[in-house]
Amino acid sequence: MGAEIIVKETGRVATSNLLGAVRVGPLCAGTYTLMIRFIGFESQTHVIQVPGALLRVALEERREMLSEVVVQEHAPTLNPSQSVATLGAQELSQNLGKPLGEVLKNLAGVSALQSGPAIFKPVIHGVHSQRILILNNGVRQEGQQWGAEHAPEIDPFIASNITVIKDAGAIKYGTDALGGVIVVTPADLPERPGFGGKFHLIGSSNGRSGTVSGLLEGGLGNGWGWRTHGTIKRSGDFHSPHYVLSNTGFQERSFSVAAGQHREHFGFDVFFSHFQTTIGILRGAAVGSASDLANAMQREPPAFTAPFTYRIQQPRQEVSHSLLKLNTHWERGRHTFHLQYGLQYNHRLEFDLRRGALREIPALGFKLFTHTLDFEWEQARSAQHTRCWGVNAMLQDNNKVDGTQTIPFIPNYTNISGGLFAVEKWTRGDWQWDAGARYDWRSYQIVGFDFLNRIFRANNQFHNVSGTLGARYQLTPRNAIATTLGTTWRPPNVAELYSLGTHQSAAAIEYGLLLDERTTEVQPLSDANFANEQALKWVGTYTWRTADAQLELSGYANYIFNYIYLRPTGVTESLRGVFPYFRYTQTDALFLGTDASVSFQFHRYWTMRGRAALLRASDVRANDYLIFIPPNRLEVALRYEKPTWGTWHNFYVEAKPRYVLRQNRAPRVITVPEILESKENGIDLFASDGRIFDFLEAPPAYFWLGASVGISKNVGGSRLDFRLSVDNALNQAFREYTNRMRYFADEIGRNVSFSATWAF
Amino acid sequence: MLQLNKTMKNLLKFAFALFVSVGVLSLQSCEDDPEPENIPEIVTKATLRFAPAAGSTGSVVTVTATDPDRDGPQDLRVDGPINLVRGTSYTLTISLINELVSPDDDDYNITKEVEEEADEHMFFFSWTNNVFSNPSGNGNIDNRTDPVNYNDRDSKGQPLGISTNWTTATGTSALAGKFKVVLKHQPEIKSATSRSTDGETDVEVEFDLNVN
Repeated sequence: MGAEIIVKETGRVATSNLLGAVRVGPLCAGTYTLMIRFIGFESQTHVIQVPGALLRVALEERREMLSEVVVQEHAPTLNPSQSVATLGAQELSQNLGKPLGEVLKNLAGVSALQSGPAIFKPVIHGVHSQRILILNNGVRQEGQQWGAEHAPEIDPFIASNITVIKDAGAIKYGTDALGGVIVVTPADLPERPGFGGKFHLIGSSNGRSGTVSGLLEGGLGNGWGWRTHGTIKRSGDFHSPHYVLSNTGFQERSFSVAAGQHREHFGFDVFFSHFQTTIGILRGAAVGSASDLANAMQREPPAFTAPFTYRIQQPRQEVSHSLLKLNTHWERGRHTFHLQYGLQYNHRLEFDLRRGALREIPALGFKLFTHTLDFEWEQARSAQHTRCWGVNAMLQDNNKVDGTQTIPFIPNYTNISGGLFAVEKWTRGDWQWDAGARYDWRSYQIVGFDFLNRIFRANNQFHNVSGTLGARYQLTPRNAIATTLGTTWRPPNVAELYSLGTHQSAAAIEYGLLLDERTTEVQPLSDANFANEQALKWVGTYTWRTADAQLELSGYANYIFNYIYLRPTGVTESLRGVFPYFRYTQTDALFLGTDASVSFQFHRYWTMRGRAALLRASDVRANDYLIFIPPNRLEVALRYEKPTWGTWHNFYVEAKPRYVLRQNRAPRVITVPEILESKENGIDLFASDGRIFDFLEAPPAYFWLGASVGISKNVGGSRLDFRLSVDNALNQAFREYTNRMRYFADEIGRNVSFSATWAF
Repeated sequence: MLQLNKTMKNLLKFAFALFVSVGVLSLQSCEDDPEPENIPEIVTKATLRFAPAAGSTGSVVTVTATDPDRDGPQDLRVDGPINLVRGTSYTLTISLINELVSPDDDDYNITKEVEEEADEHMFFFSWTNNVFSNPSGNGNIDNRTDPVNYNDRDSKGQPLGISTNWTTATGTSALAGKFKVVLKHQPEIKSATSRSTDGETDVEVEFDLNVN
């Protein structure tokens, strides 16, 4: 929504675009009076002559601001052509207490890869893990994201909004954004004197979980502000409609402190956060060899199902993540400079089922230190043209935790990366353009242990360029189309090159790209047939807005060259039994899809919202399907909202039915008994047919229902919000294709949650 | 162009110094080689030793199964076949070793560990129907209640199976079949009714067996 310009003589109203440009006319020659208004700014009147020169108007901020309105001053500078979806304060308040990956599922085009009821990895347009960049308060989140059961270590309570950028043109942020970028942004620190805060109390029936979270912030005058927040969560075993999901409880603790000063042309802040969690993995999913896996898949309820407990035993993860950020920005006329330093420490331990005294020793442990330094120079070259140049540097060190008494799954390494970028944006009337280019370089120095526990060393370098081109056209004040075409790349993750062994009791052995196929010896990169993964992504979006309706329709095509994935290559027999094994390989993949979201207020109190996501992914080289691709889904929400009801406010009732289709574009099925049988008969299943496979058929389509009701009350100067919600209201037993636990157990059953928030 | 005042210059210098110093500090840690892990849980070789009862005609029969590359793709190397003399009683002793450590290391002898944790381990056996006269049947991998002659028990009286007794079939024709051994790790679930499908598999190996 832009500034309003009213031509007094004709009564015509025009609205400026996001960059503040507007065309008012056509007007016959003469003298006109223009009135210019924008909320929060002082209105102005200008008398102009037609024909005449271009009129440039700078509005001044109105000094009284409503205290309830939070204005995002330093939101990520988005290109107008980007395909973006945002979860604002309202949506976040309706998903309190849920993990980040689960909250993001509320956006069209975003799904999640789960490992049980509490571990969610975001999936944007079908891609996840190293192909998504997560910015935690402006700093690239660096953890062990190669693992399919490693969720991002971020507390959503810290965010005032979460934005997902769905195109590959995230030029400013670096490599790894092949699928998109998730930007988790806390609110700006308070700048005016005052004191405020929020407390949340949430309880859920499934898992008998409780969450307490609080936030305090204040301004000290002269632009100084501070904030602190903390969250504690505790959950016991979840349950499906028919049985307990043993060992799926978790506990989580996090806190943050921030302080800084913001003035008109200068600002700085310091931020520190610490997040730690212990998460259990379904006990019945922990297996040794393929025979154990066959047993586990057949059993329902899963093996080792026991009565509800809060105890978290093996297998489990213990992860902590600390972040320190120092940030400053300053303006000089039309130039703005940003400088940011980030330090992250990620500590991960994974406990598996082990014999005797080893039980309490983690089977996997890594300490990851990451330093990042980012510098950006923005110039507003004119009202129609801005330019942004920048440099990013990263220094990262990964070391194994000593004493695990296992061969480390990935080696120790030092990663030095650097990048340069330039982005230009222009406006010409109803058109907005942006173009960006970037060069990145990365070097790995690796020291690891091979399959015979002998030390090996390697040194690898990668470099490449990325570029985007985008355009946005405002067709009419109501509708606009935008499109971007971008190419981006990512260097391989060390896990994809060198991983070896089984990990978190998964009954399959994984081999990195650089392990020789026959001898399992480590090869140098130059000997392997390796090429950088590179994506070419096109996204087109059409938006239509009126006073009571909104429609956003976007289509995308993402072609990923040299896509790295795990392919089954054989079945091996060791003393522990038979194990299928998988090797990281490269192919070309294509992701085609559509996201649609619509909202329509058809009555004073009633709103209907709908969301659909369709995705068609294929392995182009092998002419086959890919695995764990989110199936198509349709969600509708029907909401009744009454702004005032007696002394209460914001009463709403909402029903959210959802329909998820069966993933028919899933790989062929080879069951575990078939694997065992062919091994016994000496048949090499994968010799003639190396296509990927799945152990079980994709689960059937399902219908799911959620509902919620909420109300608020103003008490003195503060506000109380209450909310009662039911997830899986019909207590359906179903399995979700993108949950890795679907081989062993159903999804969780009915979950009733109650939350109370006090904001002051 | 850029007019940095004193505060900003200092801030920049501070940021840069911080980056470099912390960077150097963390680089220090990677200059020393990481310590190799001591790996105790591995069984690299399983040996089955059939010792005939005193006074019988047969000799000691030993077969091994060796894992040449642990988690690598090469299959288990199983030697054999187990050639037993008909109508003879044998005592089978199973031994499991980890050859990645030296023989005087504590983690070399896995059998000793299994014995120490007898309450959590059990060997299960299966064989082709006709090769043994005692025990009868085809072993307890398919059915826990099928007979197997265990010589050792855990503290709760449940069988362990490091040592077992076998009598080959009599008759005139040569017999050929298979012999399978499975070691299960059943922490907290081993009982009088726990089966070969309960718990985690520590060892699973099959040999050819002939009775002449």
